[in-house]
Amino acid sequence: MTELRRTLRLRTLRSRLTAALVVGALSVVIAAGALAQSKSALIGKLEGPEVITDPAKFPKTFKEAPQLAEQVKAGKLPPVAERIGQDPLVIKPLQSIGKYGGTWRGGFTGPADFWNGFRCCSGPDHLMFWDYTGDKAMPNLAKGLEMQDGGRSWLLHLRRGMKWSDGKPFTADDFVFWFEDVYRNKDLVPTPSAAMAINGKQGAIEKVDTHTVRFKFPEPYYMLPDVLAGSTDLGGQWSAYRGLGGFAPAHYLKQFHPKYVSQGELDKKVKDEKFDSWVRMFLFKNDWALNPELPVLSAWKTVTPINTPTWTLERNPYSVFVDTAGNQLPYIDRVVLTLAENLEVLNLRAVAGEYDFQQRHIDLGKLPVFIENQARGGYKVYLDPGDYGGDMIIKFNLNYDADPEIAKWFNTADFRRALALGIDRDQINETFWLGTGTPSSVVPADNNKYNPGPQYRKMWATLDVRKANEMLDKIGLAKKDAQGYRLRADGKGRLRIEIMTLGGQFVQYTQISEMIREQWKKIGIDLQVQEVERSLALKRTAANEQQLGAWNNDGSEHLFTFPLHVFPFELAAVASSGPLYVKWFHSAGAQGKEPEPRMKELMEKWKKAFGVPEKERIQLGKDVWKIAAEEVYIIGVIGMGPASMGVRVVKTNMGNIPSRQYNSPDGKTPGISRPVTFYWK
Amino acid sequence: MLAYIGRRALLAVFTVWAISMLAFAIIQLPPGDYVSSYIAQMAAMGSVVSDEEAQNLRIQYGLGQPIYVQYLKWMKLVVQGNFGTSMEWKRPVTEVIGDRLWLTVVVSVAALILTWVLALPIGIYSAVRQYSVGDYVATFIGFIGLAVPNFLLALVILYLGFVFFNAHIGGLFSPELQDAPWSAAKVWDLLKHLPIPALILGLAGTAQQIRIMRANLLDELRKPYVVTARSKGLSESRVILKYPVRVALNPFASTIGYTLPYIVSGSIIVSLVLGLPTVGPLLLKALIAQDMFLAGTIVLLLGVMTVIGTLISDVLLVWIDPRIRLEDT
Repeated sequence: MTELRRTLRLRTLRSRLTAALVVGALSVVIAAGALAQSKSALIGKLEGPEVITDPAKFPKTFKEAPQLAEQVKAGKLPPVAERIGQDPLVIKPLQSIGKYGGTWRGGFTGPADFWNGFRCCSGPDHLMFWDYTGDKAMPNLAKGLEMQDGGRSWLLHLRRGMKWSDGKPFTADDFVFWFEDVYRNKDLVPTPSAAMAINGKQGAIEKVDTHTVRFKFPEPYYMLPDVLAGSTDLGGQWSAYRGLGGFAPAHYLKQFHPKYVSQGELDKKVKDEKFDSWVRMFLFKNDWALNPELPVLSAWKTVTPINTPTWTLERNPYSVFVDTAGNQLPYIDRVVLTLAENLEVLNLRAVAGEYDFQQRHIDLGKLPVFIENQARGGYKVYLDPGDYGGDMIIKFNLNYDADPEIAKWFNTADFRRALALGIDRDQINETFWLGTGTPSSVVPADNNKYNPGPQYRKMWATLDVRKANEMLDKIGLAKKDAQGYRLRADGKGRLRIEIMTLGGQFVQYTQISEMIREQWKKIGIDLQVQEVERSLALKRTAANEQQLGAWNNDGSEHLFTFPLHVFPFELAAVASSGPLYVKWFHSAGAQGKEPEPRMKELMEKWKKAFGVPEKERIQLGKDVWKIAAEEVYIIGVIGMGPASMGVRVVKTNMGNIPSRQYNSPDGKTPGISRPVTFYWK
Repeated sequence: MLAYIGRRALLAVFTVWAISMLAFAIIQLPPGDYVSSYIAQMAAMGSVVSDEEAQNLRIQYGLGQPIYVQYLKWMKLVVQGNFGTSMEWKRPVTEVIGDRLWLTVVVSVAALILTWVLALPIGIYSAVRQYSVGDYVATFIGFIGLAVPNFLLALVILYLGFVFFNAHIGGLFSPELQDAPWSAAKVWDLLKHLPIPALILGLAGTAQQIRIMRANLLDELRKPYVVTARSKGLSESRVILKYPVRVALNPFASTIGYTLPYIVSGSIIVSLVLGLPTVGPLLLKALIAQDMFLAGTIVLLLGVMTVIGTLISDVLLVWIDPRIRLEDT
């Protein structure tokens, strides 16, 4: 019996997605009308809680969750004021002071989904963090950051009396331990991080006194506050699993470090706990999501780890977060994330109201179903469009060299521009974003501080078939075959270009590319859509075999901390703008291929921005986007849309929920809205 | 008979060894490795893995070594009863699989029992009453059961269950009992969640088994020995159940070789769609993530089960069907 079924199974693996699509498409048709009316109701005003930095406004006394008060009474915990310390991190909740108690239920997809927990539940635990607009880096776990010596030295002030989740003090020693024994240990961190360097030169960390740390750099590093606030290698314990983060609990980790225990003792530990090496053991012990014993600074801490069917987090009794009334945060006791290995199941559970607040993995294509079931599921749907210019972008691989003819056209600006003009973005927006996105070039939202100006939104980003055809005719592609497709200049038949897409993503890149294929017929361009498996995609981009690649540019609104979709910056990309340029950029010209002048200008401006004061940096950022929009190295299709984690499903009786939030990896959304202030009404 | 079993067992050991090598090689075939699939996974979630970090990971996991070195390292562990650590789950492979193995067995056995309880009587009925209304109805339903992809059925049932019965979506336990220690309440909860997966998983199999049973029995019913039995005056039920049904059961016995691995892996796609915490989805994810040790161990486990199952079915066949005699060659 199983033979036949097995063949069936294999065959159905592929068609499963198609079936889901059909179901999705049907529901879209049914609810499209209702959606059109409610779109404005779904996208609210950007708002969020505020961090209070004026000590005069700090609460004088503290309160705590009832179960912690009981433990204090029983003598198991020190009093709340002692646990918080003298310098609390005060947050003014968005709407009102909340109530203690309850559980927050959500879904996650497996051990690789660790971002899920950091985004919801870490606090966030950055030294600096953004205000709710995502524009300004504010003091967070650190009390303040003071620039000295023209940006070459930064004094980081810690909060007095602040403690790790096991009650041990959090001091400058935790920074020195991290820097000397973790970061500079070649086994733990074989290659130094760019976040700790300026212009390729590494910085250092020193202890000034118990509550003061100095970051020192050989050249001015004006970007440091943003780097500490962003999801970078210095952005808190999320990157601790690979030995980064900026600080680490010295008192706990020393027992796993060869500098502090004898080799024999360490070997025994490694063997007893069945690790391959001390390095793997150390990194495991330093993993926020895997090791419940790890002392943390986050608001909630892992109780049952991410590699079990339920990832549970509980309040950190030593949390330094408090509200303006002096209540220690978080309000909600526990966060329970249940494993859903299949996104259909996860989405259906959200529709059924089995999650209290879920935004990650929610599929925009099912928006009508979510809206339809709002009352039944007891939740409300919010949209959080991103601030980045591309929910979908198309990258030209400027280094493609397997076919000189295609390489030539990719490096012809008017060819790239003409292709950008051949896309009917309104049709795509209506079909795939249900009208919730914005047809756009790659530049970020208008309110973004690096936005170069309103004229760049539509630059080479409108449908103009006539002009596109004229441009293509003019550059030497005037000849067409009987079907109306343009012929190659070298006489080898039709000009065919390929786009590589990945299936099963937040955005339906393959289906959208198929639509663009139809649209480009009108400008005589024959596009071949190739959906590949992700490992193959990486292999192809690394081997420089990709022509066009479809992806999004999420995170690019913070173009300095998240540059990989702005210009060729990372080799390991599922869509690449030019692997040889990446090598050239990172080797300061020693390897790879020198970019064309305008690309070089863009790269230089980006690099320069790290060492100049903010005002100058903003101008450089605008210049980078101007070049990107003018040269169309990357085609922007639809931007400022909610496709990537921008559909939020929240129970109606949850309080302090913003009607719209800044949606970005850098903002650890919903971390930007301070989930510590969410509560059950 | 003993010598026969001994010889088969010895061959089985070699087969398993060959399977382990093949499994390892096949898992290595797709482009990339665990690290590249990890990078892609991170990229899909809006995060970046630098080139340096990727290199570090490859060194830490020993992925840069030639495949035979990796295989030998794994075999060394396997011989010691340690199947390595899953790269994705960061836990010993035995624990990761162990968590799910028993639930998988429960679901699969439930599905199998359902299949047989439904298929055998219906199959016999269809054959004995060939071309009756009942036979046509069973045939019709049977073909529908075969033709409907069961993952689709699963999706539809999930949705209908939610819309009409407010049922919990997917899984084998209610959320509040998921992590609870085993208790009467938890077993009851499991039993309540079991019918839907068992039904969906069993349906296609049932349809197929009905057809097989019907065809086999039809062949047998026309044979002279049936006529002889009837003419001797045996009751109709005794005639059918005692002889032709027993012969018609042969294919069931010979498919045990495939049934055993099915019991430990479950149906992959249906389990995935239904959100069942079974071994099937684990294997799929391990293959996609190229989590060598986990995927290798599951494939090896399936191989061992196939070998054992084949052995059992060989022995069973000899036992059920006296016509099969052991040759002394």
